Amino acid sequence: MAVALEGVTERRGGRGWTLVAFYPILALFLLVFVAYPMLDLFARAITVDGKPSFSVFARLLTDKFIWQVLWNTLLLGCTVAALGTILATIYAYAITRVAIFGKGVWHFFAVLPTISPPILMALGLILLYGRRGLVTNGLLGIQSTALYGFWGLVFAQLISYFPFAYLMMLHLFRGLDASIEEVAGTMGANAWRVFTTVTLPLLVPGLAGSALLMFGYSFADLGNPLLLGGDFPVMSSQIYLAIIGMYDVPQGAALSIILLVPAVLMFVAHKHLSARTAFATVGAKASSRHRMIRHRPAQIAALVFVGGITLLIFLQYATVFAGATTQLFGINYTLTIKHFSDVLTKSRHVLVDTLMLGVIASAVAVVVGLLLAYFVARTRMPGRNALDFLANLPLAIPGTVIGLSFALAFNHFPLMLTGTAAVIIVAFVVRSLPYGIRSGVAALDQLHRSLDEASTTMGSTSGQTLWRILVPLVRPALLAGMIFSFTRSVTTLSAVIFIVSPHWSLVTPTILSQMDRGDVGQAAALSVLVVLVVLLVIHGVPRLFGRDWREAQ
Amino acid sequence: MTKNTIKTASAKALTVLGLNKSFHLTTGRSVPAVRDFNLNLAPGELVTLLGPSGCGKTTVLRALAGLEELDEGEILLDGYSIANLPPHRRRMGFVFQNYALFPHMTVLENVAYSLRIRRSPDAEVRAKVASALLAVGLENLGPRLPGQLSGGQQQRVAVARALVMKPDLLLFDEPLSSLDTKLRVQVRAELRRLQKSLGTTTLYVTHDQDEAMSLSDRIAVMRAGKVEQVGTPEEIYARPASLFVAEFVGKVNALPGRVEGSSNGRSTVEILGHRIQVPTDRIPAAQVLVLVRPEAVRLCPPSADRPAGRVEETEYLGDRIEYRIRVGTTLIVAAQSALGGASRVAESDTVGLEFVEDAIHLLPFVGPA
Ligand SMILES: Nc1ncnc2c1ncn2[C@@H]1O[C@H](COP(=O)(O)OP(=O)(O)OP(=O)(O)O)[C@@H](O)[C@H]1O
Ligand SMILES: [Mg+2]
Repeated sequence: MAVALEGVTERRGGRGWTLVAFYPILALFLLVFVAYPMLDLFARAITVDGKPSFSVFARLLTDKFIWQVLWNTLLLGCTVAALGTILATIYAYAITRVAIFGKGVWHFFAVLPTISPPILMALGLILLYGRRGLVTNGLLGIQSTALYGFWGLVFAQLISYFPFAYLMMLHLFRGLDASIEEVAGTMGANAWRVFTTVTLPLLVPGLAGSALLMFGYSFADLGNPLLLGGDFPVMSSQIYLAIIGMYDVPQGAALSIILLVPAVLMFVAHKHLSARTAFATVGAKASSRHRMIRHRPAQIAALVFVGGITLLIFLQYATVFAGATTQLFGINYTLTIKHFSDVLTKSRHVLVDTLMLGVIASAVAVVVGLLLAYFVARTRMPGRNALDFLANLPLAIPGTVIGLSFALAFNHFPLMLTGTAAVIIVAFVVRSLPYGIRSGVAALDQLHRSLDEASTTMGSTSGQTLWRILVPLVRPALLAGMIFSFTRSVTTLSAVIFIVSPHWSLVTPTILSQMDRGDVGQAAALSVLVVLVVLLVIHGVPRLFGRDWREAQ
Repeated sequence: MTKNTIKTASAKALTVLGLNKSFHLTTGRSVPAVRDFNLNLAPGELVTLLGPSGCGKTTVLRALAGLEELDEGEILLDGYSIANLPPHRRRMGFVFQNYALFPHMTVLENVAYSLRIRRSPDAEVRAKVASALLAVGLENLGPRLPGQLSGGQQQRVAVARALVMKPDLLLFDEPLSSLDTKLRVQVRAELRRLQKSLGTTTLYVTHDQDEAMSLSDRIAVMRAGKVEQVGTPEEIYARPASLFVAEFVGKVNALPGRVEGSSNGRSTVEILGHRIQVPTDRIPAAQVLVLVRPEAVRLCPPSADRPAGRVEETEYLGDRIEYRIRVGTTLIVAAQSALGGASRVAESDTVGLEFVEDAIHLLPFVGPA
């Protein structure tokens, strides 16, 4: 009886002393690696020649060009968000509601970009539609720079990021209960009114969420603006130029702070939205399946749509593969394995480093995420909500800003980490934490509360509870979280471009510099290898994406 | 709960003729779900579709509402065909098993939905919604969202929402299956009262025979997509058309027997090595299956002129006691009221069996299936 009571008090007062030891460590970690770099960045933006001054902001905010850049960024973000959400919605609708063949294939290609570095997309686009592109120059015989600029960026970001929105909408369409639409029909609403009064209101939170997601990705994207921006500058590329091109740290820092404002607003809006519309996820279990649309014109339209987008995506990958296996794509199409062998000799350490750091970081992120989830969801530790907020903040911060703040904050006393693997790992971990927590919360929620109560009653401490009983049960969710975080880390460019060093280089910045040098073949070969490795990892753990692919069939 | 002011204009008669429906699977196979289904509902009648899981009850209901396309068949409402109308032109009040409430609308908005769709004037909507909510006893919960209601309350909202549109036909698909047993009994009585006072013709799907018995004017027992028997609850229970129906609506002893002769409405049937007298208007065959419900089996002291057996097992069920009695190779179930312990027998006692004559029902013997 006494032991049972101990279980109760532990939940009330947070008395799991084995785990409590981790709590200050976690708090310190978040303070040092989330709060401190941001504060440091802000300090630099308002410091000129060692004295506090708002002159940098004042200069930037009166500069017409900066306003133009900000406007460009917002315009691009809105366009990509709107178009991407529409594409994703139609794509998900076609997959979930229309009777078409080949759904496994369409789904596979629609999610393939979610596991590829976005820079691969830019590379494929340049090879296909650039100045000497296969389609533009080779087939159409034109020498056009149309790809470089606003519409090229829209195209590149859509193809890179619409898959994330697609996955979201897919989930939503699957979750909508058919009987809710059917009952509206029996009450006198025709198909159109069912759509406007029932389906659409239920989809709105998802549509808004997907739009915000796309907006955020567009904002944070660095690779595409660098390679395809042309005379259409956006914030992330301006920050890059300020730091790498002009060594103007205060300006780069100030631009980052300016970029943070809309990003954080988005984040808050998203939180608000998902809290307000939680009804979409509660409710009775779905009782009837949606009847697949067998209307012939609709089937044909759906096939043309998903087939067309799949073809575009397929062309990207095929082209990059072709670029990796030919002498010089666009000029000399002689087959060769030179690029692969070059990459595997000259850039092997890059590949190995990336994978190693990615694995370490994702493991750390998931463990830290699980611990945080435990403290936030299962205990009443003081300050746990603040920690939760801090740990989720990186969702709102564009990768470029995180990368820059790390490069600046850990380049001087008291924490000198520049040039080490540690700074890269920590950057990965910080960016993956929100997902780590999410998978941790999901994992813990799945368990019956009675389960950990049962073990605590049997007299073990809460640390043993967590490890011996909970962990095996939550392992699938944690592995899924690990894979997600690994994929994100390995494919990001923006977060790492400022913190890589000659000693610790990574795949995406290497691809970028290879492309800068004109080493298209090597860039393509390295891209292909990354995609293959990530695919391999994902299929090694058939949980996350494997289920998605099976469901679509 | 019973006070209400909703009235249907006039109750409609429903005729379903030769309904056929198969589902085509993605594997190319097709599953027949409903086969040659026929049913008539008189105006104001409540008929339940009773049958095991997967026998096609939901499919019939959905077909009536226009939610499934028919392969074949005709649906007549007061003689007019509605088989080709889309769902929104049919005026069917459908209550789904999971209630299918609109999660983004309050109770009031849910109930008002059909009226708003028809663009009724505001004052009328308010009045009708109020009286529908009153009818189901939820007049105070109007501003809540469905997610803030208990299962029983959600169920009532779904009913109110179906009633308020004054449907030509009410269709219920296992509306009580997600409630707990006590609540189920209470709500089904309320439903029955409501339906009677409204006089709306109703088709009610369930796989719970108690529910069917207590609610229905008539029951249609379904098996593998077909109607096996239609009749009043008493007909279904006392004079089942087949062993399947007999077993589906309750426990039954089915004993093979031989008709030895009959005169003035009484037959002599030989079962378990003894002759019994059965009142019959019609003898189905020479070889028969004698159906006796457990409660029609009386236990009495063993004697030479009636079957006797040994009590193998007794089961105390609160309101009654069930005995399993071995007679030769046959196991016979008998049930007795558990009140008053005087007549109780113990396990391994030998008892004589007597069958209540007018509770015996004969079926043609079809041989072991
Ligand atoms: N959309 C569908 N696709 C394929 N087969 C279906 C579909 N809907 C129903 N079926 C099949 O049709 C048959 C009848 O199903 P139905 O839902 O009408 O049964 P039911 O009597 O309502 O069962 P339950 O009591 O379990 O609800 C079943 O064999 C079922 O598997
Ligand atoms: Mg059913």
